[in-house]
Amino acid sequence: MKKIFPILVLWCGAAVFAQTPSGAVSAATINEVNVTQIMGFEGTAKNTKGKLSIQDAALQFQKSGDNPAEVSVASIQDVVLGEENRQVGGLPMTLGKVATPYGGGRVVSLFSHKKFDTLTVQYLDSNGALHGAIFELVKGEAESFRSQLIAKGARVIQAENKAARQNAPEVSSEGK
Amino acid sequence: MKANSKFCALAAIIVMVILALPYQLVAGAKSSAANKSSKAQWSLQVDKINPGDVDLESAFQVAIYENLLDELGKTKQFKQVFRSGDRNANAKDVPNLLLLKTTVQKYTAGSETKRAVTTVSGATKLNVLSQLCARDGKVVLELTVEGDVHFFGSNLRATHNLAKNVAKKIKESTLPDPSPVASASVAEGAASDATAKRPLSR
Repeated sequence: MKKIFPILVLWCGAAVFAQTPSGAVSAATINEVNVTQIMGFEGTAKNTKGKLSIQDAALQFQKSGDNPAEVSVASIQDVVLGEENRQVGGLPMTLGKVATPYGGGRVVSLFSHKKFDTLTVQYLDSNGALHGAIFELVKGEAESFRSQLIAKGARVIQAENKAARQNAPEVSSEGK
Repeated sequence: MKANSKFCALAAIIVMVILALPYQLVAGAKSSAANKSSKAQWSLQVDKINPGDVDLESAFQVAIYENLLDELGKTKQFKQVFRSGDRNANAKDVPNLLLLKTTVQKYTAGSETKRAVTTVSGATKLNVLSQLCARDGKVVLELTVEGDVHFFGSNLRATHNLAKNVAKKIKESTLPDPSPVASASVAEGAASDATAKRPLSR
């Protein structure tokens, strides 16, 4: 018992020190979502799966096991949400559907689709060049992520333009 | 003995030809490379996609823009391909610059599920007007290009097909020689500067 007690104290101490930094990281990470980067995020290949997060003042995309690629939130010019619908299963499923007799593949297609959200981020790099990145998110997650980006300082142009367009006819009709 | 000497002479000629051939090939390749490098080449800046009057999703606009940058870079027809707003594409550093303006003319939203179920309906179709302009705004080349997805692939694949078609059409068409156009545009710019300055001098 006398031998076990100091070991236990040391182990607990080590555990406490080990917890502190990871706790700090989780506090800095506002949100983290699983995404598929369809295209456009600098330093990342097309159709890469990974995690999208907001770290301090940067939008970060990290493929598991790789170094994260990040973009300053202040450089973001526009964040737009979208909704898409696609067939699941990829090429094997497509071949299976083609091979199904009596048009059974078509019936399978009716049920083998999935809705997802898209998050389109337009940002400027250090040279002022425009980039556009498209991410695929699980349905319902994009809205909250976008509002967090806006809260962190990301600009939104499209919504302003739409509001302006909606207001424009009213103004002109009032003018007449 | 005579036959032996003839054979030796023939062998010597063959050896000489074989030895001389690689040098000729290398020299030819070098001269063609020198010709290519001496000929001025256009650089290209891809402008942001203009949706026009079409209600095109932002994801599609961004996908067209990014795919255009990819596909036009692959053609190696241009010395450099710049993004919209890139400060490196200034007149001082890049005198032979063309600007690619893309305006969406038609867009038919499709559905991957519809395509999979019916085969004949649900196609995503895009039709754009692509204009290559010089620095002074003069249109050098104008193309109407389409990009569709009829059977397999997601809706965004239409943007990839469109960008591929734009790059292919630009590659097939002949662009004017960069130096005269660039110098003319610079001269015109100088002239317009002069006319703009004239009233001030009065």
